[in-house]
Amino acid sequence: MPGRALFLSAALVLLVGCPGTTPDDNLEPSAEPEPTVSGPGPGSLLPFRPAPDDNLEPSAEPEPTAEPEPNAGPEPEPSAEPEPDPNDPALLCAPTAAPSPIRRLTRTEYNHVLRDLLGIESAPASSFVPDETALGFDNNAAALWVSQILAEQYQEAAEQSAGQTTQQLLALTDCDPAVTSEQTCAGQLIADFGLRAYRRPLSPDEQTRLMTVYDAVRAAPGETYVTALAAVVEALLQSPHFLYRVEHGTGDSDGDGLTKLSDWEMASRLSFLIYNSMPDDELFAAAAAGELSSLAQIEAQARRMLEDDRAQPAFKNFHWQWLHLDPIDYLTKDAAMFPGFNQTVRGLLEQENEAFLRGITQDGTGSLDDLLLSQTTYLNDTLADHYGVDSTGLGAALTEVTLDEHRAGILTQGALLSVLAKTNQTSPILRGVFVRERLLCEPLPSPPDDVDIQPPDPDPNLSTRERFAQHTEDPNCQSCHELIDPVGFGLEDFDAVGRYRTTENGQLVDASGQILYSFEGDGMFNGAVGLAQMLAAEDKVQNCYVSQWFRFGYGRQETADDICALDYLKTTFDESGRNIHELVVALTKTPAFRYRRQEEVTP
Amino acid sequence: MTQHRTPRARRRAQAALDRRSFLKGAAGLSVATPLLFSGTGRAQGAHPKRLVIFFTPNGTRQEDFWPYFDWNIFDGPKSETDWPLTPILNPLADHKSDLIILDGVRQRSTSLGPGDGHQKGMGHLLTGMPLQEGTLFEGGGDSGTAGWAGGISIDQHIANAIGENTKFPSLEFGVRTLGATVWSRMCYAGAGQPIPPDNDPNTAFNRIFGELDGDPAEVARLRHRRQSVLDFVIDEFNTLNPSLGADDRIKLDQHLTAVREIEQRLESESQPAAGCMTPDFGAAMGLDPLAVDNFPLVGQLQMDLLAMSLACDLTRVASIQWTKSVGDVPMTWLGINEGHHALSHEGDSNTTAQNKLRDINIWYAQQLNYLIEKLKSIPEGNGTVFDNTLIVWCNELGKGNSHTRNKIPFVLAGSAGGALTTGRYLDFDNLINPGAPHNNLWVSVMNAMGVEGNTFGHPLHCDGALEGLA
Repeated sequence: MPGRALFLSAALVLLVGCPGTTPDDNLEPSAEPEPTVSGPGPGSLLPFRPAPDDNLEPSAEPEPTAEPEPNAGPEPEPSAEPEPDPNDPALLCAPTAAPSPIRRLTRTEYNHVLRDLLGIESAPASSFVPDETALGFDNNAAALWVSQILAEQYQEAAEQSAGQTTQQLLALTDCDPAVTSEQTCAGQLIADFGLRAYRRPLSPDEQTRLMTVYDAVRAAPGETYVTALAAVVEALLQSPHFLYRVEHGTGDSDGDGLTKLSDWEMASRLSFLIYNSMPDDELFAAAAAGELSSLAQIEAQARRMLEDDRAQPAFKNFHWQWLHLDPIDYLTKDAAMFPGFNQTVRGLLEQENEAFLRGITQDGTGSLDDLLLSQTTYLNDTLADHYGVDSTGLGAALTEVTLDEHRAGILTQGALLSVLAKTNQTSPILRGVFVRERLLCEPLPSPPDDVDIQPPDPDPNLSTRERFAQHTEDPNCQSCHELIDPVGFGLEDFDAVGRYRTTENGQLVDASGQILYSFEGDGMFNGAVGLAQMLAAEDKVQNCYVSQWFRFGYGRQETADDICALDYLKTTFDESGRNIHELVVALTKTPAFRYRRQEEVTP
Repeated sequence: MTQHRTPRARRRAQAALDRRSFLKGAAGLSVATPLLFSGTGRAQGAHPKRLVIFFTPNGTRQEDFWPYFDWNIFDGPKSETDWPLTPILNPLADHKSDLIILDGVRQRSTSLGPGDGHQKGMGHLLTGMPLQEGTLFEGGGDSGTAGWAGGISIDQHIANAIGENTKFPSLEFGVRTLGATVWSRMCYAGAGQPIPPDNDPNTAFNRIFGELDGDPAEVARLRHRRQSVLDFVIDEFNTLNPSLGADDRIKLDQHLTAVREIEQRLESESQPAAGCMTPDFGAAMGLDPLAVDNFPLVGQLQMDLLAMSLACDLTRVASIQWTKSVGDVPMTWLGINEGHHALSHEGDSNTTAQNKLRDINIWYAQQLNYLIEKLKSIPEGNGTVFDNTLIVWCNELGKGNSHTRNKIPFVLAGSAGGALTTGRYLDFDNLINPGAPHNNLWVSVMNAMGVEGNTFGHPLHCDGALEGLA
């Protein structure tokens, strides 16, 4: 790992290299008055947050001490700012930030939000049509849109969710319609629940129009106080302000085309990045108090959240999409070839991977090196038998075990190796493409268009390696497959369900591999462990990992405007010992995260 | 620009208004029962035309598909009407006189724009347009990346013209299509607007047939409630959208259009037809739609739903997409354990693999046969629903291992109410003019469906209807 000196010089390059960045490019107001916000205390805006264990029971939080300001506008008073931090990447990189397109909730986010908003654990979005997926991620804003069927599914999910939970929501309010009036209590629910649904206070106009929904439904035959409020919930759950992360910023004060985000918007950016969900109580409270604008405030929240267990589903979400592990859910193998690969084993492989990721991402010490080289995994007796390793002492529960010398990190896990294989044999092609595209961020050229290829017949007595070797003999295929197949050949010491092997078809396995034309050196390695070690030493892999987080974290492809921010992320990641939490914290500091480009509006 | 109502939505709104006024005047009701509308929307005695797109992936086994096999050149006598069945077409033997085999149709437009063979094949298939430039998908072309398809698909184009009186302008069924990328989408509402098929017969059933029955008072309550909710939602869009940047606004306007469509549907009524019955799933209810073992059953249920939604006139345009381009389902029920896509890459001389590819395509032909039989079993007027239907069996490639988009195995089944003369084999390959662009086929299809026009897709690769087809 490069030392501090190297980092400093890199930072200098950043300073010099980024256009328009001088210490005077002060985006942070430095002479604000002391904080005067005397807003509600934490929790007061959050009467509906279900306790983690007993859904929708009143939580043990202190009683609200103050009501939110009636008709509070979407923006709190700006709070005081500390002195600008000279290391603020927003200062280093300003004023470049690519446009941040409006982001619609993904199915994963929708499920998480309904869980946090209404205590619904049934993941209703899992039956929605799949999210459009681009560059491997389902949250790329440019690819996502709302088709007819999805709009209908939103409606159905909203109706069912509201029907299930409105009664319980009301039980949490301290408003008794018998004491005050139904109208008063409805108004209170609209304001309180509306804030959490929209992730910001509702405007007076929005509250009025929701009261109109309530009144219209309440007056209809067959409807009640509760069902009318359920209609309000339905309406909120189908609103663009719920289904999208709408951002307007606080205005472009200095004419550079960028606007700082409001504290409410920043709360959502943080929560959707780190939890893949809506803001939690602390974020809402911080936004209400105007305490989410300075670098230090944002960083403190990010660090707090990363330690929270709600960050875990997001870490899994990122790594599963990056590694393309989803197919494990419906993977089948040739039953004659792999009779042991049943639903139980498939499920255990997934659990092994989850436990492995959790072990690395939970406590803040985990790094990219751990992902690639960790000597730890989690097995039970059945899974140990599947892998053909000693199951002595293992029971039904997954238990932490130390790997043997043939295995290391993510690359030798059965989940990944099973996905990157055919049903009845390994696939050096799938494995090679995976390493190129996912780990090295090297898109491959497509097969030649319309060339009649005549691959020779496979000889069943040959090894997989020998059968695929023909690719590099045929000149039509060679130019691409020499980039692909030799990488995959190096993983031939693992079969199509992730078991270590030394022979195939009675022949000794040759697991020598080579990554050609990617980085300095001959790129030669041997076996999965050799590959993992080589990749762990390559800056390209490290930078690729950062790029993938950029795409996942910001929901878009990087652009020329992001070069400075990417450099910052890569340097910070490197300097931190490639620490994963530090990378996510760094993601919250860039101008791309803290500002948005004001789009021209054509009325 | 505060109104983003589509032409269809506008027409439907007007129609709904007319119906409502009529009813109020006639019976003093604000909500009608389905019976009152039976038969509206079409002239007495006339039956609507229906279009079905039937997609199977990864090319075919050319030698086992074409009645006369060759590449490009005329190499022997060919009969238009007395052509031989082949292994892959044989499952359709009972309906030979209802078929048109279209030889030598090429996806010529795929010479344009970005994307790799499969991406182009899939994205161009129903749109005839180059893929959008963009960085969404890694693939071929000069840029190395591509976006979604660059235009509306033919089914949607036709649905916009003939779908306005039905509950659904179109219905998209899928069988284990997996994923949501340019490889797995063929239907497009417009450039960059891929329409996802529903892979789950259970959710499809609920969507299509779920609200046909019900206590009238309860239906009225639900309608009123939804109307109030949707009014608010539409207001929110109308307030928000004008404040957005151009790209964001396009997205939210598309979303708003979908919400408006839901709103319009509140007013529309189903029109039970003679052969209309709610499909019965029996024990299949709740099955896992993605399990490989369920693949044949899911396909059959989807075809049952498709057939009945046509018979019930809930839609007039439907598609069924079996897997996707690069779809790799192993047809274990045929004793084939390798994935389809993997097999499609094997060489021509690999007889084991080629026989399996033949069997896979035979199986798909059997599924098409099932759909034809189903439509023929539903009476309509003096004939059956099939008489008024046109099915297009299509594929994104001609052949898997070369990714060619020439000699796409297009088969038409049905005459669209007599618009086409069936029982024919047509070859568009000859020495002077090798092949016809597939955009011409879409012109023929839309004309057969009663939709006027003499061009579709990219104009560089369209010069009118397919010669000799109509």
